Amino acid sequence: MMLFYKAWLESRTRFLLGLLVIAGLSTVFVFYNHDVRTVVTDHDVSYGEYIWRGIFKGQLRDIYVILTLLLGWGGLDRERTHGTAGHTLALPVSRWRLIAARGLTGIVETAALAILPASLIPALSPFIHESYPWLLALQFGALWTVGGILIFAIGFLASVLFAGEYSAAIAAIALLFGYSITTDLPGIEHYLVDIHDVMNGSGPHGFTTLAAISITAAATIWLAGYITARRDY
Amino acid sequence: MDYVIETHDLSKQFGTVHAVSGLNLRVVRNQVTGFLGRNGAGKSTTIRMLLGMTHPTSGSGLLLGHSITDPKQDLEARRQVAYCGEDKQLYAYMTVKQLIHFTASFYPDWRSEVAASLLDQFQLPPGRKVKALSKGMCTKLALLLALARRPSLLILDEPTEGLDPVAIEELLQTLSGLPADGTTVFFSSHQISEVERIADRVCIIDRGQLAVDLSLDEIRRDHRRITLSFSHQPPEHLFDMPEVRSIESNGRQMIVVSSHGAGAVVERAKTADAVVVDVVPVNLRELFLGTVQDHK
Repeated sequence: MMLFYKAWLESRTRFLLGLLVIAGLSTVFVFYNHDVRTVVTDHDVSYGEYIWRGIFKGQLRDIYVILTLLLGWGGLDRERTHGTAGHTLALPVSRWRLIAARGLTGIVETAALAILPASLIPALSPFIHESYPWLLALQFGALWTVGGILIFAIGFLASVLFAGEYSAAIAAIALLFGYSITTDLPGIEHYLVDIHDVMNGSGPHGFTTLAAISITAAATIWLAGYITARRDY
Repeated sequence: MDYVIETHDLSKQFGTVHAVSGLNLRVVRNQVTGFLGRNGAGKSTTIRMLLGMTHPTSGSGLLLGHSITDPKQDLEARRQVAYCGEDKQLYAYMTVKQLIHFTASFYPDWRSEVAASLLDQFQLPPGRKVKALSKGMCTKLALLLALARRPSLLILDEPTEGLDPVAIEELLQTLSGLPADGTTVFFSSHQISEVERIADRVCIIDRGQLAVDLSLDEIRRDHRRITLSFSHQPPEHLFDMPEVRSIESNGRQMIVVSSHGAGAVVERAKTADAVVVDVVPVNLRELFLGTVQDHK
């Protein structure tokens, strides 16, 4: 249990900052919708379309992607940079348990960040005499959670592969950017699922797709654990 | 003898660099053993291999009877071993109290009364963040975390590095008293005077291999530094003898360090018409320098 506590203490600043950013922007998108609408889309689209384009498909989703990547930051390689890896590795726990605690904490935080706008949008909309269906919002919340976990897993793996303070985050962003470009290449689009399209509901998002994404995320975290267990510190 | 650490041909290679090569190390239970060596001699790599942080390239080792190359056994050994690393960094984002609480949760026989007593003795502020502690306070906190878990073995890597003289004195006093409570101390250091002061036994590692494994009593009793003067250039291989540890030549004067008294060396010197200028006991500094400086 204390390993989860440690993982929480290590990631809480990034998580709470993410929470603040997503909550703040969701609120702005709802209460200042007339002003923001002209920036993110056309004036004549419906409120539901505006929310989708601005939040679940648009700028807020991009911010969420960056935040989840940053949640993957940390781990033993970063601890080595800070000189605390010795204390952690001398504890009577296996490296797999260290990885599991950090991975599960990150997954819960990723899900919490995904559920936040999905809860805030339908809850705040009545204050401006608009409505947004709870079921639809929660569906987007679920899609963000699944996609977010894969993105978190990529950041998590990058934190194992690249030990530098910022190189892991930069490498993860580059990897995700490269993946997004690849999925748009003619001929490739039929074989690779664009995680961004899955998250905004415009791509395939059936059970099989979501299960495949979840398995890929789990395999990515397992790979990070496998590398960590064999590495010299 | 009962050993808490035993390695057999333990080796670690980083690329083309042989950090540790065929190390055969034994550390006796309930003693303070100093682990000496030059920078890069392999001290820290050896300690990291013992604790499962670094995987050996070849060879094997036992830590409190548990294999260091078997992750499950190594985990079991770590329940009984406390470690204070070279950099002495602890989680900066935790407070002293949080770190004590965190560490205590991993050790069923954690002694809260010892932790409370050391907290008081070391004057550590429980509510202060670790990042706000001085290096000396961090070392004391690391020591508190190590001692409150009732370890069978305490491993320290350069424990006095960066500490002020008062903190060093307190640390050495604490360490020297631990074997009486059933804790074996194994510590690496560059400070020969500190090792000489508190160690019962000393192991010197040179280029990844064990060069010396002796008790301080054996060094004082058996080792002699013999200064000889010759009327002519002394023959090059005059002291090719198993007991000769090092030879330092300076013109027609020669300093020989012997590991088995002075008798045999003096006899050999007389056959070459040498005049024995001086025979004195060897201190640890001389033994260390004689071992690692390639005089022979």
